[in-house]
Amino acid sequence: MAPTTPTLELRDVRKTYGDFVAVAGISLAVEPGWICGLLGPNGAGKTTTIRMIMDIIAPDAGEVWLFGRPRRPADLRRIGYLPEERGLYRKMTVLDQLLFLGELRGLKRREALPRIEQWLERVELAAWSRKKVEELSKGMQQKIQLIGTVLHEPDLLILDEPFSGLDPLNQGLFKDLLMDYRRKGRTILFSTHGMEQAEKLCDHIGLISHGRLVLAGELREIKRRLGGNSFRLVATGDLARIANVPGVAHAIPRDGRGEPGGAAGAVAAGGGGATGGASSAAATRGVDGGGVLGGADGSAPIKLLLEPGASGPEVLRHLVTFLDVREFRSEEPDLEEIFIQAVRNAA
Amino acid sequence: MRLENAYVIGKREYMTRIKTKGFWIATVGLPLFMAAMAVGPALLIAKTQSRHRIAVVDAVGGGLGQEIVRALSPSATAATASRRGEGAVLFDVRLTAPAADAAAQRRELDQMVRDKQVDSWLWLGPAEIERNRFDYHAASTSNWITQNVLQHAVSEAVGRWRLRRAGYDAAKIDRLTRLLEIDTFGVGATGSRAEAGMGKFFVVFGLFLMLYMILIIHGTQIMQGVIEEKSSRVIEVITSAVAPTELMAGKLGGICLLALTQLGIWLATAVLLTTPGIIGAVATMPAGALPSIPAAVLANFLVLFLLGFFLFSTLYAMIGAAFNSVQEAQQVASIAIFFVVAPMIFFMPVINDPDSRLAVVTSMIPFFTPLVMTLRVAAKMPPTWQIVVAYLGCGATVALMIWLCSRVYRVGILMYGKKPTVQEIARWVRYS
Repeated sequence: MAPTTPTLELRDVRKTYGDFVAVAGISLAVEPGWICGLLGPNGAGKTTTIRMIMDIIAPDAGEVWLFGRPRRPADLRRIGYLPEERGLYRKMTVLDQLLFLGELRGLKRREALPRIEQWLERVELAAWSRKKVEELSKGMQQKIQLIGTVLHEPDLLILDEPFSGLDPLNQGLFKDLLMDYRRKGRTILFSTHGMEQAEKLCDHIGLISHGRLVLAGELREIKRRLGGNSFRLVATGDLARIANVPGVAHAIPRDGRGEPGGAAGAVAAGGGGATGGASSAAATRGVDGGGVLGGADGSAPIKLLLEPGASGPEVLRHLVTFLDVREFRSEEPDLEEIFIQAVRNAA
Repeated sequence: MRLENAYVIGKREYMTRIKTKGFWIATVGLPLFMAAMAVGPALLIAKTQSRHRIAVVDAVGGGLGQEIVRALSPSATAATASRRGEGAVLFDVRLTAPAADAAAQRRELDQMVRDKQVDSWLWLGPAEIERNRFDYHAASTSNWITQNVLQHAVSEAVGRWRLRRAGYDAAKIDRLTRLLEIDTFGVGATGSRAEAGMGKFFVVFGLFLMLYMILIIHGTQIMQGVIEEKSSRVIEVITSAVAPTELMAGKLGGICLLALTQLGIWLATAVLLTTPGIIGAVATMPAGALPSIPAAVLANFLVLFLLGFFLFSTLYAMIGAAFNSVQEAQQVASIAIFFVVAPMIFFMPVINDPDSRLAVVTSMIPFFTPLVMTLRVAAKMPPTWQIVVAYLGCGATVALMIWLCSRVYRVGILMYGKKPTVQEIARWVRYS
């Protein structure tokens, strides 16, 4: 670990609701300047974890450290928090609302006013500052929520599913903001169940499944480490047999453009409450469906994830016995595959 | 508890609410409405003078007709009207002798009413006088003020006529049987002080109504505010910067100041309106009828206001935190409203006998203390021990309510979805 002090550190944090274990002991450190994605399917425990960081709910056990010491109430003011369920006072004007949100984080009125003005200009809402929030469109309200989150220039941004429900324009705005923040060396933690977003934005990830952190680290390093295990296969023949080949952990069908297609569904479906085994079965079923995938020539690519320690050439030797293989090459795994594998290994 | 957080929350509550139209409608509207209800009708009637043309058929004779004409003269009716606090009616009396054919004459008089030559006609015959009645015929019979004055004047005229016939000096009888006026004095610690009974009544009623309105208006507003924060999910952002207890304290504090502002405006209006000269200019009121509020009553009223405010605001905040929509909360809220409305039932008995067992007992029930004790304190200062016991009981209940509310609040505000059961809410109190 780097010698720097983590901005945020979770130390074996747990939360149980009755018999339901929402967070089963998570330890995670986020260092200054990181954009860390907290990934996992819906219900994995992401929001509960974030709420415990924000002291909205108290953990049953464990500690939250902020800025190098056990969390103190005043530390929360250095955080910009955008909850998943977010809203504004409908009857307040945009200006009053932002002033209020700024003052809640300790900003003085005279500090807040020029910043609000700048921000409203940046998002092209300057003409709306005296309007009531209820007169604004949903997209405009999202911009106001974003401004409210960053107005006090927090050292740490915590965003819970920031991209859910955003229109494409605001998605761009949010991404620009995250990039801005990274350039300034500030720290960002955001949760998402969308692996693509995370893949594009994060430099570090923490994968959560069933309240447990199943994998954490730098994304590039994780990809490099797991890279030897991922292969791209284009073949025709009895594709259903691929799953039975020794050394093959998963076979994930892809559409022609190389984007995760059916597999996204498989992960989402398996992710809600599935064990590693279940997602594995779901992923494999996509291949079982028919002997030929894709177009008439049957050349749609398939992603193969190998068991740890399995050898690519060895697997290929098995495949050619029953498939007409046109392409077989090593490939960098995407987050989805990493996630499936991590969940499986954890199980 | 960080006070600066509570301050920011309280400031928002105060500033946004004081800018709403609803606040000013209630603040300005209520005193206007009360004033209109109190002096309006009297003022209207007092300033109204209606002219009434009346034909009087005297079938009795012996000077009864002249007696009635005198009793219906402007000077006589004005005196009666001012004594009874009613409007004056100017009568144009047309005294008519009875015709031979009574039935024909009656038809003729009816026709005159239809032709609008007269507004009404009276028939006074020996048989009617014997039965102590007289006939009044008019196009409209809903003019009860006119009929009142008429009945009064004719009774007086017939009485004088009978006395004169029995050989008495009517003028002397008048002097001997004059109606007496009542002068009211309030007995206080330092002696007696002239005060009009009705003036005192208005003070008691006014203070009671102010407190009543404030508890209803602001209680409901707190509940709606909390529910709005929950349903719009603003609460998620706020609780990340402010602890639930700070949020609650700021909210109740801010709205308490708002209620005090409103109360201040009302009291100032009341003082201004009762300043001699102002009300005197609009309604002719006898001296001493102007109510005043002693300092001790005012001091007690402020304590009772604070107790009442926190008693009900915590109750309403708790209800708001527990439910997800105003509709869901309405049932439970109506129970809260019961505690505010119930003292209305005790209003008349308590004000009539402020030391009765009913008054003492109900003023000691914490949820009734603010309103019932306001009545007692304003009507007649109760013994000190009763005030102390009532305040201690109510204060302890307020402390309990704040504790309960902060526990339900901190769990409830983040609970969306299904309506909680009583058992669940009890669990929030135990575990939070």
